[in-house]
Amino acid sequence: MLRPGADHRGGSVTTLDAATRRLLERLRPESVPPEVGDVPVVAPRRVEEAAEVLAFAGDRGLVVGFVGGGTQLDLGGRIEPDVWVSTAALNRIVDHQVEDLTLVVQAGVPVADVEALLADHAQSAILPETPGAATVGGVVAAGVSGYRRLRYGPTRDRVLEVVLATGYGKVVRAGGRVVKNVTGYDLSRLAVGSMGALGLIGEVCLKLWPIPRGAATVAVDDPEGALAETYRPLAVLETEDGSAVYLTGTPEQVAAQTEELGGVGEPGHRWPDPIDSPMRFSVRVTPRHLAGAVRMIRAAFPEAPLRAQHGVGEVTFGVEACDLERVVAVRHWAEGHGGAMVILAASAGSLPGMDPWGAPPAAHGLQVRVKEAFDPHRICNPGKLPGGL
Amino acid sequence: MLRPMDLIAALEGVVGSDRVRAHPLDRRVFAKDAGVKDGPVAAVVFPESAEETAGCVRVARAAGVPVVPRGAGTGLAGGAVPIEPSVMVVMTRMNRIVEVDEQSRTAWVGPGVINLDLSRDLASTGLHFAPDPSSQQSCTIGGNVGTNAGGPHCLAEGTTVAHILAVEMVTADGDIVIVGGDHPDPVGLDLRAVVVGSEGTMGVTTRVLVKLTENPPAVRTLLIGFATVEDAAATVSEVIASGLVPAALEMMDRAMVRAVENYVHAGYPTDAAAVLLAEVAGHAVGVDAEADMIARIAADNDATMVRLAQNDAERALLWKGRKSAFGAIAQSAPDYYLHDTVVPRTRLVEVLSQIYEIGERYGIALLNVFHAGDGNLHPLVSFDAAVPGELDRVMAAATEMVRVSIEAGGSLSGEHGIGMEKRDLMGLVFGPDDLDAQARLREAFDPDGVLNPGKILPEGSRCFDRAPTIGAAP
Ligand SMILES: Cc1cc2nc3c(=O)[nH]c(=O)nc-3n(C[C@H](O)[C@H](O)[C@H](O)COP(=O)(O)OP(=O)(O)OC[C@H]3O[C@@H](n4cnc5c(N)ncnc54)[C@H](O)[C@@H]3O)c2cc1C
Ligand SMILES: Cc1cc2nc3c(=O)[nH]c(=O)nc-3n(C[C@H](O)[C@H](O)[C@H](O)COP(=O)(O)OP(=O)(O)OC[C@H]3O[C@@H](n4cnc5c(N)ncnc54)[C@H](O)[C@@H]3O)c2cc1C
Repeated sequence: MLRPGADHRGGSVTTLDAATRRLLERLRPESVPPEVGDVPVVAPRRVEEAAEVLAFAGDRGLVVGFVGGGTQLDLGGRIEPDVWVSTAALNRIVDHQVEDLTLVVQAGVPVADVEALLADHAQSAILPETPGAATVGGVVAAGVSGYRRLRYGPTRDRVLEVVLATGYGKVVRAGGRVVKNVTGYDLSRLAVGSMGALGLIGEVCLKLWPIPRGAATVAVDDPEGALAETYRPLAVLETEDGSAVYLTGTPEQVAAQTEELGGVGEPGHRWPDPIDSPMRFSVRVTPRHLAGAVRMIRAAFPEAPLRAQHGVGEVTFGVEACDLERVVAVRHWAEGHGGAMVILAASAGSLPGMDPWGAPPAAHGLQVRVKEAFDPHRICNPGKLPGGL
Repeated sequence: MLRPMDLIAALEGVVGSDRVRAHPLDRRVFAKDAGVKDGPVAAVVFPESAEETAGCVRVARAAGVPVVPRGAGTGLAGGAVPIEPSVMVVMTRMNRIVEVDEQSRTAWVGPGVINLDLSRDLASTGLHFAPDPSSQQSCTIGGNVGTNAGGPHCLAEGTTVAHILAVEMVTADGDIVIVGGDHPDPVGLDLRAVVVGSEGTMGVTTRVLVKLTENPPAVRTLLIGFATVEDAAATVSEVIASGLVPAALEMMDRAMVRAVENYVHAGYPTDAAAVLLAEVAGHAVGVDAEADMIARIAADNDATMVRLAQNDAERALLWKGRKSAFGAIAQSAPDYYLHDTVVPRTRLVEVLSQIYEIGERYGIALLNVFHAGDGNLHPLVSFDAAVPGELDRVMAAATEMVRVSIEAGGSLSGEHGIGMEKRDLMGLVFGPDDLDAQARLREAFDPDGVLNPGKILPEGSRCFDRAPTIGAAP
């Protein structure tokens, strides 16, 4: 029998009280993601149901983990939930205002579905280009942006409205379905990158961009030079196979810009495949230090696949086998240049003593208070965020 | 609790006697922003560093007197107007551009830097600060951060929040902290995102890391006249739906055009019922085709004239007309009240006609000048507050206009903020749980109500029991 406030980590269905069992039964998903192991899973169909689950869990001190597509569950601090709340049944595209360029979707809708729908209208939500099974909610919660960030800014800039089931069990809406809005505190942007710390992101309204007709990818030798000379490229990416400038605009403009770069343009945008190494890292520095970061990573891991976003300041790279010392050296370099190195994926125990996030954020006290405000019982993905939040 | 004289002495202890003012005249000057209300000032201080700012906050806190941060006081929502006797912390002396990183396209600037000065100072670098409120000649970057200011060119570039990477601020406790960072996606909750637009209620901004934007190599500016407001509004909706992203898309109605023409002689057609100012910017090869496309959409909607600015001087004059709109009104009426709602861009035609109808019904002089491309409406009412009952009538009409915007799926404020002006209308867009969540957030930053109390959230927003804190037994 579960008692409020007691430690029930890892409780299996058989040890749960009758009310908990009933809830689990009622909201049982059609299929269970393999990532979640034998921990019970619920899949609310409405944000209100998610809030109900959280209120229930708060009363009983049950730790809740959130899962979308399950592609990024290892990101951040490790959690051991008593129950997983899956967004698998929050799977509706609620409203697409084609002419106003806004889209309302529930959190569990796969990114790929959203972009496929939008492509039919020559629009995009500028979500990550190679999403796999990732969901909109997962991308928003993880605060992940795609490669087109150089031109269109981070995902954060496109989240207009959020409906949140908070850690204290209420449904809260913030923002609005208009492209410009300063009505009250911007909880929508706060939710971006919150890693589930505030509660479950149930639904979002995204600002869309029209996709111009012209598109080309031009291989270049000097990505920093190309970045400086090209007016507003979509992306300037460097990988282990070379560098390329991604162009967008009217077909005439793309042709002209291709010529200015003196390169051969391939029509369309061929985005690099995701890195599939077992260990993956993200180095983030001010754009001026990006080239230095690439050199540093290449020196430490000559074989590593990498994706460097020039002008943005992020390099992700993958490593096959653990080399703690070199990983530490890269983090040391990044932090020494005012940036960070985040561990995106690593097998358990392979990097002893390394915090997934590195140095905690400067305003730690405020971080704690904001977390407390939305998750007073500390049940929502606890320990995911830096500083054990 | 300090007595008034002790408060002033304590503030003088922090910044010296020449930078504390409490003369009745100073109190009057700083009692008001550019909106319609004023409030009680206990003292005015002009800190010159983050440390001094922190000192002022600590003194006020100890004295039990609220702190109201203030920039240039051009705000229109009463954000910088005190509700109870307060220490006005005026940031205009912290007006240095501290450091420019041309390669990363960022700059650390003081909160007192004037918006336009920043872009002017950067001219030789080929970069600029994209948010360009019409008040940019006088408003401060700290104020822009406070209100998440917008401007004509925010249509393509996004509002201030998209251009702020980090904020150094003094918290309600008097600590100096930095939220955000110079690299992408600093770890932890993105507090910078809520500090921007928090109207001085979460901290006093003492330094800002802004993102700079490359100047476009080519720009085309079009002035388009229409015989009806509906034709102009339909053109806006169609341009947005066409897949074009203009750099700016601004609209003015006849009353506004006439007032502006009278004032700056920008060459606007005074016989048109509505005028659009449209701009496209980008690579030289793209802009002509885009300008043509806008002209074509306008022609399909029965535009009566289309003029393409032939050179920079003409372009500057057209913009001068737009940006002088409020100055033009100030010249002709003793007072004006400026609305700021947002509607979905597909609903412009119908909401505008409702707004004219409300204006007529209340018998008020209504002019429109607004960021049409964003659906951000700015109906402007000129009136004389000295006439008894006038202000009440204007405010009653204002509330109706807000209602029709919200009923069309819109929002209470697009860029001016909530402040005290719209605080009590928040319930029109948010329910009790929504307001309670916002109140919790504010409480996390300022549990004792030191910073700009009484703004943004209506009284009673924190409608549920206070949450127990982490670690406390449930
Ligand atoms: C720096 C970085 C760069 C990346 N780059 C790319 C890329 O270029 N291309 C690419 O395809 N992928 C990339 N990814 C990974 C991809 O974006 C993730 O797969 C995605 O963010 C997670 O989606 P998901 O639905 O699988 O979420 P999950 O893996 O299920 O969850 C991710 C995290 O968010 C929480 N969460 C999930 N849904 C919600 C919700 N609705 N409410 C609250 N919390 C929730 C989870 O608890 C978990 O902590 C990147 C990730 C990072 C961190
Ligand atoms: C003629 C005219 C035209 C305008 N056009 C536009 C427009 O196009 N777009 C637009 O968005 N706005 C416009 N405005 C409104 C106004 O100019 C903006 O809101 C501007 O951002 C305010 O800047 P300020 O320095 O005057 O701030 P203030 O009015 O002094 O303060 C505004 C708010 O920010 C807070 N604040 C100021 N400085 C700080 C600081 N250092 N730290 C913490 N909080 C601070 C204040 O407490 C207050 O809540 C216009 C105003 C006028 C009079």
